[in-house]
Amino acid sequence: MVRLRAPLFITRHVLFALVAGGLAGILFMAFLIEFDHFTSSNAFCTNCHSMALAEDSYKTSVHYNNASGVRASCGDCHVSEGVFSATWDHAVGGKDLLKQIKGSLFGPDYDDPVINALHLPEAAFAARRWFKDRDSATCKRCHDQDAIQGKRADTAAIHRDEAAGKTCIDCHINLVHRKVPGAETFKRDAWNVMIEQEFGLKPGEAAERFGGH
Amino acid sequence: MREVMGIQGGWYALLLGACLLGGAGHTLAAKVKLEPSNWGHPAGEACASCHAKSSAGLTQQWQDGAHAKAGVNCMDCHQAAPGDSDAITHEGQVIATIVSPKDCGRCHVSEVEESQGSVHAEAVAVVGDRLKALADNLTGPAVQAAGCDQCHGSVVKVRGDGTLDPATWPNSGIGRVNPDGSKGSCSACHGRHEFSRAQARDPAACVRCHAGPDSPDKEVFEASKHGMAYVAHRDKMNLGSDTWVAGKDYSAAPTCATCHMGAAGKLPASHDVGMRDAWRLNSPVSEKQYLIMFTDGDKRDLPASQEPPKRGAQFEKNDGTQAEVKFVVPPDRRRQAMQSVCLECHSKAVTEGFMKQFDNVVELFNAKFAIPARDLMADLYAAGKLTPLPFDEPIELTYWELWHDEGARARHGAAMASPNHAWWEGMYLVGRNFYTRFLPQVREVAGADAQALIDRHVTTKDQHQWLKDGQQTNPILGFGKREAGGG
Repeated sequence: MVRLRAPLFITRHVLFALVAGGLAGILFMAFLIEFDHFTSSNAFCTNCHSMALAEDSYKTSVHYNNASGVRASCGDCHVSEGVFSATWDHAVGGKDLLKQIKGSLFGPDYDDPVINALHLPEAAFAARRWFKDRDSATCKRCHDQDAIQGKRADTAAIHRDEAAGKTCIDCHINLVHRKVPGAETFKRDAWNVMIEQEFGLKPGEAAERFGGH
Repeated sequence: MREVMGIQGGWYALLLGACLLGGAGHTLAAKVKLEPSNWGHPAGEACASCHAKSSAGLTQQWQDGAHAKAGVNCMDCHQAAPGDSDAITHEGQVIATIVSPKDCGRCHVSEVEESQGSVHAEAVAVVGDRLKALADNLTGPAVQAAGCDQCHGSVVKVRGDGTLDPATWPNSGIGRVNPDGSKGSCSACHGRHEFSRAQARDPAACVRCHAGPDSPDKEVFEASKHGMAYVAHRDKMNLGSDTWVAGKDYSAAPTCATCHMGAAGKLPASHDVGMRDAWRLNSPVSEKQYLIMFTDGDKRDLPASQEPPKRGAQFEKNDGTQAEVKFVVPPDRRRQAMQSVCLECHSKAVTEGFMKQFDNVVELFNAKFAIPARDLMADLYAAGKLTPLPFDEPIELTYWELWHDEGARARHGAAMASPNHAWWEGMYLVGRNFYTRFLPQVREVAGADAQALIDRHVTTKDQHQWLKDGQQTNPILGFGKREAGGG
């Protein structure tokens, strides 16, 4: 008769460590899931005033307000699916948190609407690259290209024929947040002048405040 | 009028001007001389494939037009360099929404050269001083984009986010100042996206702006024999023809384009629409005008009362900068250019007689009403009886309309053979408003000085002596007797 016996190196202490480690691992994974869930919520993101500024335009967009009541949260679009990817995105996003904290002490203060608007284009370009690198994966959580009908006659045909080989972000930019031109045609000077007019700044003040970091 | 050059020299200038303005100096419409390898942008096919679905109407218009047939696609006209102020990224391409004369001029070289410096291309500068007084003060700035600028053209503003400011766009005003600095909008007359020849030669191309109380060219043309013949014989107008020379390709009727731009006999077609205008008709007092051609290709009008510059001299352009004068075309040469169109259908005697009748109306308007009214106003301003601010006193509107509305209608009616506009819509109203609105308002404003002022500028002048003979009888109102020997 064969007796099942643990290998000799599985001592009581090792067994205890395995059980404890396993439990800790499960708890850690659960924590990550909860953490990602919590840190993907609008309430968490807009804790920072700089993100509350981004929320203003979001709240006027169809991704927030629409007849069907489907509402995309910050994380639905800006945090990848899956606990590891989501954790990674949050880890990378942590640098923004550091900048935010740093900004309250020295350097550009992103809570300042002027500074925020001046830096918005670079943020938009980075976000577009992020979507492009992931083949617009977060869009596809809800949108299926094959199923897009649209309201106008040929929207479905365009999404079948002309959109073949493209990813959502190739065409659909400036959907939710304040309009920013494509990186290729963006003109910093013209953007600065627009912000100066919008906030009643003196000519040249925008460049000064943008360059001062 | 001063003689600028001898008769020979004048004709030389006219012909030289005609050659310059008309391209190669031949009677055919200027041809695109570029190699077709200059168009057919490889990305253009993809535009059409999507836009046939997303904006089927405009794509169909393009497909129906000569551009599509020649292989000119969306990108050929809309391509832009990333550094262009109005460049945007669109589906992976760098494009501009506005296709400016500079863009059209890549192929349509002579048309764009001719139009630069014309009254059309300079239409924003023409109203520069008026916008504040009329749009801002009398009404409100909100009307400018939908009103003034739609004909004269906006100064298009590109915002920092790459969008075109809706206060300045959409706009296809003829003098539009484009983000690339060029002036004009070809699509003002050549409706996009078919750009049909026939459409641009039809008077309907002009009437979006040349209609209404101050420039009633639509109404004047329609009420003239020319307009009557056009409506009756439109099917014989050959409007879509490749070449369109009056008297050769068509002879049923003239359109606006025939007289102001079209080829006729040896006179070449030109996109300088004001080149053949001997008079400036839309001004408080009409003056004949020189056409000054600059060596850089620009040009401007100069009232005949001013000393014209010599060839080779530096002279001020419309934009205030100085340039070298190439030559000066005097008003009678401009008139001769216009008359050479008339002569395709009319005899010399009829043509010259018609021009004499026209000139007489302009001179009557000037001498009897425009100059006295202008001088009265000048005295009222000088005496401080009126504030310098325009339109805060009723007499200023009466004066404005006297020359800008009924005065313009009278002059245009005479210029383009509408008896109704020369008289009832024109000089009749000028006379009525001068005597029964303007002069009573002068009396009101001038107070004790009124009679002396009016005597100085009006009642002592020959043309107003009829007012003194109150005993003249005439049965026009149902009273009084017919004068002996009267008709």
